[in-house]
Amino acid sequence: MASSSGAEEASLDDYASLIATTDVELLKRAWRNEKAAPEILRYEYRLISRVKEQIQLMEETVEEKSSVGNDPLSVSLYQMDLDRTQFLLRSYLRIRIQKIEKYMFHILKTEELWSRLSKDEKDFASACTSDLNQHLEVTVLSKLPENYQSVLKQSITSEEDDMVPEPQLDTFVLCRSKEYLTGIQLEDGPADDRSKLFEMEPGVLHFICYRSIKALVESGKIDLL
Amino acid sequence: MNTKYYDIDDIIMEEETVSVIFQKTASGVGIDPSSEKDFIETGSKVELPFWLAHELQMRQAVSVNIPSCFDKTTRLEIQADSAGVDLRSRCPFFYEFGCKIAPIVGDRTIGFLLLSAFKSRYKEILTKAHSVAFAAGSKFWSILTKEEINLYETAQSEMASFKKWRMGGPRFQIASVLGKKRKSTE
Amino acid sequence: MYGKTACQLVKEFASGDKGQLVSFNSDLFQQVVAECSQHLLELQSLIRKMEEERLDIQTVRNADYYGALIHHLTLVRNKRCLMAYVYNRAEIIRNLLWKIGHVLPQEIEEKLSHAEGEYFKKHSAALKYYMSKVMVDLTVDMIPPKDPYIKVRVLDDIGDGILLSDDKTANFACHSMHLLKRTDAEQFISRGQMEELSG
Repeated sequence: MASSSGAEEASLDDYASLIATTDVELLKRAWRNEKAAPEILRYEYRLISRVKEQIQLMEETVEEKSSVGNDPLSVSLYQMDLDRTQFLLRSYLRIRIQKIEKYMFHILKTEELWSRLSKDEKDFASACTSDLNQHLEVTVLSKLPENYQSVLKQSITSEEDDMVPEPQLDTFVLCRSKEYLTGIQLEDGPADDRSKLFEMEPGVLHFICYRSIKALVESGKIDLL
Repeated sequence: MNTKYYDIDDIIMEEETVSVIFQKTASGVGIDPSSEKDFIETGSKVELPFWLAHELQMRQAVSVNIPSCFDKTTRLEIQADSAGVDLRSRCPFFYEFGCKIAPIVGDRTIGFLLLSAFKSRYKEILTKAHSVAFAAGSKFWSILTKEEINLYETAQSEMASFKKWRMGGPRFQIASVLGKKRKSTE
Repeated sequence: MYGKTACQLVKEFASGDKGQLVSFNSDLFQQVVAECSQHLLELQSLIRKMEEERLDIQTVRNADYYGALIHHLTLVRNKRCLMAYVYNRAEIIRNLLWKIGHVLPQEIEEKLSHAEGEYFKKHSAALKYYMSKVMVDLTVDMIPPKDPYIKVRVLDDIGDGILLSDDKTANFACHSMHLLKRTDAEQFISRGQMEELSG
C-alpha cells in the first residue's frame, strides 16, 4: 500500500477503521483479549448490550425471511452470520464464567477484580463461592481440628491468606500494539536486564510476559491474540 | 499468596524425600526409623519428605543435603548424553524439584545443570513428538520426567488438532469423561 | 512416614486420566482425618508438657517445641492433601456441566460422594440462574460454527417427541440419520447418543 496515493490511502484507512469499529469486530477483540488474558478483564457492559440487541434484530430478520420462504440462500447466509455472532457472545461470557469458577476466592476478596464483573456475574460468583465453601466445609474442614478449619488460611498461625489460588500473571501471551508504545518495563528475565525499557511498533507481533503489558491491555492500547 | 496450594503435581513433588541432619533435638515424633525411641538427637541423619524438610530448614532445625539426583554422577551423565539419561527414575519432577531445592541447599550450579539438561532434551522431545507416535511404555517415553511428558503430550495434541483442522471432518465428539464405554454401532 | 497416607490419596487422584473421575475414596479419606486427630493429640500433649514446666511457648525452642512443630506441619500438610483432593474433584464436577450438561449419567453419579452430588446440583442451579438472567445458553456452541446444520447418526434409542429449537419434534430412532441444527445436536453428541457424519 506504500505506492498508493495519499488520498486513496486515507480512504482505505477510513474503511479499515470503520470495519474495525463495528460491534462484531469489537466483540471479537474483547473475546480474544478475554481468551488470552490469565486474569478476568473488565466486563464490556455497553458493547454486550448492543450486541444482544443486534442479535435479537437478526433473529427477527431470519424468522421473517424464512416464513416468507422464497429466498432460502439469503436466509442461510443471515443464519450463518447470526450463528457466528452468537458463538462469540456465548464464548465471551463462558470464558468469563469459567475464570470466575476457577479463581472465585481470589476475585471475591480483591476489590479491583470484583469491580470488573457484571451484576449477574457478581451474583453468580457469590453463589458459586458459598456453594464451594459449604462443600469444602462439610467434606473436609469440619472434620479437622479447630485451628485448621479456615478455607483461606492453612492454620491460625498463617499471617496471610495462603490457600487462595490466583491466576499466574507471569505467563506469556501473544500481543500486538495499535500505536507506537515506548517505556514498557519488562518484568521477566535476569534482574539486571529489567531496567531496560522496551518499545513496540504498531502492528508487530510480540510474545511477552503478561505482567509487563497488563496495564496496556486494560487501557486498550494493546490487543492480545 | 500461594498459587499452587491446590496443585496436584506440586503436592506430589513435595513428597520427594531428601536427607537432612538435625541441628536441634525433637521429642514425641516417630519419623526416624533407625531410632528406638520417639526422640531425635542433634546430628541424626533422617530421610524426610521435602515439605517437612523445607519448613524445618527455614527454622534452622535441620540442614538439607543435596539429593542424589543432583549429584556428580548424574551431572556427568547429563554432560555426556543428556537426551539419553533416565531422569524419571531419579526424580519424576526433576526440574521443578531442582528449582525448589537449589536455594535451600545454596548450590548455584543446579540452575545451570537444569537449564542445560532441559535445552538439549527439549529439542529431542519436540522432534519425536512430531515424527513418531510413541506408545506409553516405550524406552524413550520411560526416561522422560513428568514435566517433559506434559510438553510431549501438548506438542502431540497440537499437531493432531492442526491436522484435523487441515483435513476437515467431524468436529463434534463425545465428552471424554464418558469416553471408552460406548462402542460405535457397526 | 508422616503425611504418607494423605499423599497416597492425592496420588490416587493423579493416577486417573486427565478429567476422569474415580470413585470417592472415603476409606482412605477417613484414615487421613483420623491421622489428623492423632497428630493434634500428640501436639497438645507436648505443649501441655511445656506449660507444666512453665516454659514460654513463644520463645523456648527445646525438643518438645520441635516435636510439636513437626506435628503441626504434618497437620498442615494433611489438610492440604485433603483439600486438594476435594477441590480438584469439585473442579472436574463443575466441568461436567460444560461437557455433558445438567443431568448426570448413572455411571458418573455413582462415583460421587453424597456431598459431591449435592454440590453438583447447587452449582448447576447457580449456572442456570445466571444463564436465565443474561438470557444466553452457555452450554451450547462449544465449538466455533461453520455450517448452521450438521449431519448426524443416532447411536442410541433416544425416542421420539423430542422438541427441537424450531418447535418441531423429531423421531430419533436408533441408526436413523438426520440433518439437525448444530446447537440442537451438540448435547446429544457429547453424551454419546449421536455421532457427527463427515461430508
